[in-house]
Amino acid sequence: MATDTTTESGFGTVSRTKGIVFEYLTLASSVAGILALSVLLGYVFWDAFGMESAEIAWYGAFALLVVVPVLAFVAYTQRNPVAGEAALELFSTTMGGILGGLGTVTILEVVTGADIWFGYFVTVVAPLCALYLYGRSQPNASWVGLAMLGFLVLGPPIGTALLPITTTIVALIGGPFVYLFTLTIPGALVLRYVVEDYLELGDGDLTAGVMVAVALLAVPLVDRLPLVSRSVWAIFLTTLFAPLAVVVWKNLADRERRAGFAGPGVFAAGIGVLLVVTDRTALNGPTPWFDWQYVTTSPSRFADQAGLYPAIIGSVGIIVLVALITMLLGVGAAVFLEEYAPDSGLGGAVARFIRINISNLAGVPSVVYGLLGLAVFVNLANLGVGTVITAAFTLSLLILPIVIISAREAIRAVPDSLRQASYGMGATRWQTIRNVVLPRAIPGILTGTILALGRAIGETAPLIMIGVATTAFSPPEGIFSKTSAMPMQIFAWSSFPSQEFQHGVVAAGVVTLLVVLLTMNSIAILLRNKFEQEEL
Amino acid sequence: MSQDTSSTEAEREETDQLITTDPGRGGLSEQDNTSTVMTGDTIIQSRNLDVFYGETQALQSVDLDIPENQVTAMIGPSGCGKSTFLRCINRMNDLIDVARMDGELSFDGKNVYDDDVDPVTLRRRIGMVFQHPNPFPKSIYDNVAYGLRIQDRDVDMDSVVEESLKKAALWDEVKDRLNESALDLSGGQQQRLCIARAIAVDPDVLLMDEPASALDPIATSKIEDLIEELVEDYTVVIVTHNMQQAARISDKTAVFLTGGELVEFDDTGTIFENPESQRVEDYITGKFG
Repeated sequence: MATDTTTESGFGTVSRTKGIVFEYLTLASSVAGILALSVLLGYVFWDAFGMESAEIAWYGAFALLVVVPVLAFVAYTQRNPVAGEAALELFSTTMGGILGGLGTVTILEVVTGADIWFGYFVTVVAPLCALYLYGRSQPNASWVGLAMLGFLVLGPPIGTALLPITTTIVALIGGPFVYLFTLTIPGALVLRYVVEDYLELGDGDLTAGVMVAVALLAVPLVDRLPLVSRSVWAIFLTTLFAPLAVVVWKNLADRERRAGFAGPGVFAAGIGVLLVVTDRTALNGPTPWFDWQYVTTSPSRFADQAGLYPAIIGSVGIIVLVALITMLLGVGAAVFLEEYAPDSGLGGAVARFIRINISNLAGVPSVVYGLLGLAVFVNLANLGVGTVITAAFTLSLLILPIVIISAREAIRAVPDSLRQASYGMGATRWQTIRNVVLPRAIPGILTGTILALGRAIGETAPLIMIGVATTAFSPPEGIFSKTSAMPMQIFAWSSFPSQEFQHGVVAAGVVTLLVVLLTMNSIAILLRNKFEQEEL
Repeated sequence: MSQDTSSTEAEREETDQLITTDPGRGGLSEQDNTSTVMTGDTIIQSRNLDVFYGETQALQSVDLDIPENQVTAMIGPSGCGKSTFLRCINRMNDLIDVARMDGELSFDGKNVYDDDVDPVTLRRRIGMVFQHPNPFPKSIYDNVAYGLRIQDRDVDMDSVVEESLKKAALWDEVKDRLNESALDLSGGQQQRLCIARAIAVDPDVLLMDEPASALDPIATSKIEDLIEELVEDYTVVIVTHNMQQAARISDKTAVFLTGGELVEFDDTGTIFENPESQRVEDYITGKFG
């Protein structure tokens, strides 16, 4: 028998067979999951980058020129971790800057436009930032929080009302100048703080001045570049070039960290040499479907000209709106259910009923939400068939239960002893929520929300129900215009008869979707880490 | 009167006679028992206080007069209602949905359960320190300043923080790292920080719910020394499981026994050396409880 003990070896032994079998079963199930996922991803990437067209020799060159040098650098960082840190810093600043710049261009230039952005910048963003900074410098000024809330609530309607005026101003001074005032100059102020006080590298005023000067002086050069408008230059200067310059400066200033430049260096050099070699010799490289042309052009009947651009913009626009709506409604509902709703009596019964039903709603099939969206937002509220706003509201309904549940979990995870401490100090309920509960719960709330947004961006069924176009040839011009979305476009392509569409173009679409998703997740992780650090 | 300890009803009558004045007459006169009573103005007074959690009765008609600027200790076995009494004083029991109370509990001559009393303002005058140290996950400075900020006090924040930390005997240990997380402090330091946080807003009364039960003996003795110093400025009401602690630091002691009844309330010396009630003697000498 398994649990028999023997008296031969002193105290005897207890059988662990069942435990060991169980351990390996759990290991097997996790490996199976990871394996299935990586096979799927590998397959998709193989198709999206057209890997089958590359020769063995190309793979050899790739391994020799890129993989080996990078691995060598990684091995070197084992002995010199500071260099690895520096390399990672450079690499992530570059990638983050590029993705952040692309995202900002998408949101500002396409979804909102310079005039609308300027209107809300003046009425919402700038006052909020100014009040936040003032609140940081004067922690005793308790009216700041209230004023911020006021701008948050009243700012958007005021901004909407003032749109004609701000639009006129934008028309007078021009889009690029708007970005100069709203992005480059605030960015220069942040740079001044970072250089002088945070990293203590040198003269902050000078650095900020240089940044603004570069922004203006580079304009003649920028005008000659194809594809890069002055607005795009202003945006990328703020998100990519200025942070990268500071990181380069910081790592150059420290002797030990200088070796870190070798990492990105060998990577870039390897890629460069590989491109030259592929170009000069008759070596066949991969023919990627997922390339610059793919993400910047409209769909086409021809596979090699097909692009996902309108759908990307549509999806990003929808998801930004969904994030706003679900954060406000979801966190609000969760705070009420956890902190305000009574536990007993009639109110308690109602609250319990609501809680149970929110959990039930999380399991309702998405197509049902599509039907609801069709009935409520398209027919009743008349927001239009297949418009950005209809899609955003419908997807918000879909993920609201998940957001509420995860936000409630995060709020419930705040130890009760902290609430007790706050109440014991004579804090009101609002002060306790504002100062103790929410700061502590925000990382968890963000994690839950971002996971839910990931689900929303990939949803297809509800979008079909509310009539979102499968193919759109131009991106939406505003929240009330018709749009397409990435999953719709991918779905449409998958039913095209040609092999090129079914494999290459669809796979590239999936990769794009994944890239957008990963970008969103990394932004959320950055935000969460920032809040966790602030909490100490 | 019967000395049979199983007859709780008789016991209650006996102790009632010992420690209460007639609530009908409502005077603030001192208890008329024979022991020497340290005089001090009564600041907290309860009359016929009953507390229920749902169907369970946690306190049974408690009559108690807590004197100003003295340490009043409450001892008794677990579940006897001493913490409940403490949490009635600053109405922390309001936060429990099923809690319900009858009778009268007045602070500074005003019934705190009157409709026109805002529990928030009440708690600003009656500070509280909990069993487990519960500093906020903020910096040491922000912890002490928390009360001042939420109350919008127009004071020199830095000097009040420094003064409170000095009063709580923590200043020398933390003065160089005020901006570090309070969670990096040791348990004893965290508890002293919680005391500093409570006294920063200058309350009249400090309620302490087993403040040293989660601490080691050295930290405990620091907290005890601190309480003895604090009592010059504040009225301290402390719940403790540790009878030696009660004997060491308190001026008055209230003994609660099972079922939420206050069995005896007197000078600490009298309670520990010559208690009136057999049950209190049994409890103190460790025969039960």
